[in-house]
Amino acid sequence: MGIRSIIHKMTAPSHNGESPSGPVKLVLIINNGLKMGKGKIAAQAGHASVQATLKAGEKSPLALQAWLSSGQKKICLKGDDADHLLVLEKQAKEAGLLTSKIHDAGHTQIPSGSLTVLAIGPCQDELVEKITENLKLL
Amino acid sequence: MAVQCSHAAVSCTMASRKTNSRLMERWLNGGARKICLKVDDLQSLQRLAGQAQAAGLVTHLVKDAGHTEVEPGTITVLGIGPAPRRSIDALTSQLKPY
Repeated sequence: MGIRSIIHKMTAPSHNGESPSGPVKLVLIINNGLKMGKGKIAAQAGHASVQATLKAGEKSPLALQAWLSSGQKKICLKGDDADHLLVLEKQAKEAGLLTSKIHDAGHTQIPSGSLTVLAIGPCQDELVEKITENLKLL
Repeated sequence: MAVQCSHAAVSCTMASRKTNSRLMERWLNGGARKICLKVDDLQSLQRLAGQAQAAGLVTHLVKDAGHTEVEPGTITVLGIGPAPRRSIDALTSQLKPY
């Protein structure tokens, strides 16, 4: 699907996706095994957020709307390594949540193709908390 | 901190979706390049925001709701762009990477 149609879906009235019944947030899980600098982490988190936003515009516009209008709540958590992130991704997918993975092009600090961030959501707080409750804040 | 930058990234994306969707498309297809730089204080952020707006670029100042680390209403990050590299570099070439 092209970006134009994604934009269209983000702006057009939509009938798909369920309206969330509680607070909505986006969780960003950083691959802490890579030892990235803080500016690098910030840029990677930005990648993940933008990708999660676009994906939500396509697949669950109501949750996206709720999230954007409630201040785009975001939480950064620490994951141990790439395998840990993949396990969390699987759990999130099984729970029917949207996920986005960011692989770095490796222009700067880390090897090309490293998995740097996993985004889960935006979705209802309690749905994602079930998966991420054991993780520490970044 | 990463969260604040993400706020700026998403808000700039949503803003440029409306004002300049062609440029945004180019940015996304080119890997959605993002750079984090630092400034000393709020004045520098606001001055840069003014310069960027004068240059016709999309900007977004992130104001934190203050639930966690900072006072409510603190301006934390300025997002500029997506815009052609040359236009942004003209404003930010003196800044250090964060």
